[in-house]
Amino acid sequence: MASDLPYAADAEVSLSYDELEVLRLQYQKELAQDYVTVQTKFNYAWGLVKAPIREHQVEGVRLLQELYRAEPTRRRECLYYLALGHYKMGNFEEAKKFNALLMEKEPSNMQAMSLAQLIDRGVAREGYIGMALVGGAAAIGTLLVAGLIRRATRK
Amino acid sequence: MAPAPAKAPAPINCKLLLIGNSSVGKSSLLLRFSDEQWLPEDESSATIGVDFRVHKMEVQGKKVKLSIWDTAGQERFRTITSSYYRGAQGIILVYDVSNRESFDALPRWYSELETYVSDKVVKILVGNKVDKEFSRQVPTAEAEAFAGRMNSLFVETSAKTSVGVKEAFTEVVERIMDIPELWDATPGVGAGAKSSAGQMPGGGNVTLGEASEEGGGGCSC
Repeated sequence: MASDLPYAADAEVSLSYDELEVLRLQYQKELAQDYVTVQTKFNYAWGLVKAPIREHQVEGVRLLQELYRAEPTRRRECLYYLALGHYKMGNFEEAKKFNALLMEKEPSNMQAMSLAQLIDRGVAREGYIGMALVGGAAAIGTLLVAGLIRRATRK
Repeated sequence: MAPAPAKAPAPINCKLLLIGNSSVGKSSLLLRFSDEQWLPEDESSATIGVDFRVHKMEVQGKKVKLSIWDTAGQERFRTITSSYYRGAQGIILVYDVSNRESFDALPRWYSELETYVSDKVVKILVGNKVDKEFSRQVPTAEAEAFAGRMNSLFVETSAKTSVGVKEAFTEVVERIMDIPELWDATPGVGAGAKSSAGQMPGGGNVTLGEASEEGGGGCSC
């Protein structure tokens, strides 16, 4: 039996304030000592990406991008969390791009497959909202134009 | 005419966590249990951080909704995975019967459990990959005795041939059902894994810090 819907646990669950603080303090401590270990940076970036606050997510993605460039051995997890971070921020194109890079390397990665479905769903939802907006705008536009024409014809 | 009950009781939420060294088959056990599938080793990929599945089953006439958290076994994810312990009612500790090292690492996993979960939480030790009987490195009797000392249930499985897999999960859930205080709407003991999905409960923050430093040390590889 099919077990469940697409799900990315790390997209839903965020850390408590204190938990994120632990990761942040460790990162800042190492930053102050001018030597940040990959692990510390990754842990903090992960905590940020999971956070519900957009600025946190942005910062998390920035750190992950640095890690991705600097650490070839961490690329697969960076790709996954980059995709996840962009997904959470609603940057579906970016999310897709990073997730596709991961799936290229690991075609049967179930986490990536699940995330791909979530992204597609996000795109579709955005599409509906877009259509609604366009539809709404068109309706308003029609009214405006009608009004203008009426006014013009009155003159 | 059917004796229609007023309403079906809500399913009991139950959170299980799979832990153990990398490559022992945690994800494979979950895939076999939830989807009746198996991926050969070259097609399966190491879990990134944590994966999650929901599975519904009926135990002792009760409807149970299992949330199963499958954690990455790699050292580098230790800090990350430790944040998923809280709220768990059952822990599935997995080792590979053909890999002595994965068995020898168990005391470390148990000490992590001591840090993060209450000792009421149900534990089961699972010796996976019994399909590799020819290269077995951990005798059943030894593992069984160890599980006894660690106050854990014990079963041997093969995610590949599906031997013992259903039993492993069912036994944990049955044992959890025997301990109502684990699931009977007691706030704080982690009733409702679904609700805990949003609320990563506080407490134990210092330990996350310790773990992160540990992780920091282990990163130089």
